[in-house]
Amino acid sequence: MAETVIEFKNVTKIYKLYSGARRKLLGIFFKSVKYKEKKAVDDVSFVIKRGESVALLGRNGAGKSTILKMITSVCFPNEGEIIVNGRVSALLELTAGFDPEFTGRENIYLKGATIGLQKKEIQELEQRIIDFADIGDYIDQPVRSYSSGMKARLGFAINSNVRPEILIVDEALSVGDTAFKDKCLDKVNELIDKDHVTLLLVTHQVGIAKQFCKRGMVIEKGKKNFDGNMEEAVVEYNNILSKTK
Amino acid sequence: MEILKEIIKDHTQNVEQTFKMAKSDLLKTYRGAALGWAWAIIKPVVTIFVYWFAIAIGMRRGGDVNGYPYFLWLITGLVPWFYMSEMLTQGTESMKKYSFLITKMNFPVSTIPTFVSISKLIINLILLSVVIIIFCIFGYYPNIYYLQIPVFLLFSFLFFTFWSLFSAPISCISKDFSNLVKSFVFAIFWFSGVVWNADTVKNKALRRLVKLNPVTYLVTGFRDAMINHKWFFDKPKELIAFLVLLLIMGLLALWSYRKLRKEIPDVL
Repeated sequence: MAETVIEFKNVTKIYKLYSGARRKLLGIFFKSVKYKEKKAVDDVSFVIKRGESVALLGRNGAGKSTILKMITSVCFPNEGEIIVNGRVSALLELTAGFDPEFTGRENIYLKGATIGLQKKEIQELEQRIIDFADIGDYIDQPVRSYSSGMKARLGFAINSNVRPEILIVDEALSVGDTAFKDKCLDKVNELIDKDHVTLLLVTHQVGIAKQFCKRGMVIEKGKKNFDGNMEEAVVEYNNILSKTK
Repeated sequence: MEILKEIIKDHTQNVEQTFKMAKSDLLKTYRGAALGWAWAIIKPVVTIFVYWFAIAIGMRRGGDVNGYPYFLWLITGLVPWFYMSEMLTQGTESMKKYSFLITKMNFPVSTIPTFVSISKLIINLILLSVVIIIFCIFGYYPNIYYLQIPVFLLFSFLFFTFWSLFSAPISCISKDFSNLVKSFVFAIFWFSGVVWNADTVKNKALRRLVKLNPVTYLVTGFRDAMINHKWFFDKPKELIAFLVLLLIMGLLALWSYRKLRKEIPDVL
């Protein structure tokens, strides 16, 4: 039995919606101020074992990204418990998450540090990341001068090369030119096969999901609708899509 | 208590990164302008000139203080105030400015006000050295009382870093709060004894109230060191009052951060 790397126990994430800016301010100081609750994630439980590749399918606003953000502990659940064992490397919106004034090289160190790598480890990985990103002299220019394609390249290069144990990919494989896209797909494959990385993939491209994942989860309105075989998950997902048309 | 542990852990585990972020914050402030670093000097020089002109020339209130020219007295108060006013506004905005650290990665959020504060303090240290050089040019050389300058720098740093940790999360949630702070900076400036002498307030109760103001206390501290030649422990009552306020500010920071930490990523 493989060990558990990610576990959600009845996780609920509520966004507070205040009806106005004044209520929002008062809400900081008084508990009695009323607000509407939007359950972005509603009582979701699942277990992911080491080496699994899981695709999250669902319409826009279904709560997929919120789930991923909670795994990376960028945001926090209101109820329930999340257990994550292992170094998480997340490709959440590739083009964001850089300090625009830092150079590409400096951003490698910043990201490495936030993931929990020691400076020495990053130094060892630096050249590999730069080679993979393949953006030439731009590596020593501030990231604000990058094109979105270059940012995506660097983002992917960093996140896939920092020896992740859990790789989270959010719509990230659909950027860049075809050649780089193929390079990314190869890299993900390599990480799964060689390093036994646990992969969590969010995508609207069913083809890519099928290519990488045997297990699919369908999220609809914050609830887990289906969890199991990838083929069946795709059927379920298409059902939801056709219902809303 | 938990939250205090978390904040301390955030800081002790990321010492190097915090200083690196401070450095980059500094670079960011001045990079990209043709005059670059010169702005770190030009802006305060213009401000100092304006106040000096308005008060000494315009209102003719620029008499010597304790044997020192009014101009020297003015800059010993204004320069520390520059750090405070920057922290009042930009400390409050710090988490909004660095929102990408909060929403896109798992960053030790509580260190954001700290590195912004360090960055502002470094600029202030440079300005303060310029002040000391000006004192020398006027023929007033450093003496033993200057040793307490680091004490007041530390006091200012702690107070306004706590302030930022308190105000930054609130300003993420509410724009009104940012606006409130911005509009009060000016008021705080004139109510504190930065350009006028708090000792000359006639009404005793009012004078006490003015001196209770931490901005007045800190500014007066720098003047005690460089002009009045008094030790900070010679004024135990005021020292204790400040330390109590510092403690309250620290508790407010803990309250605010504990309450809002988990909401900040949702609203940014």
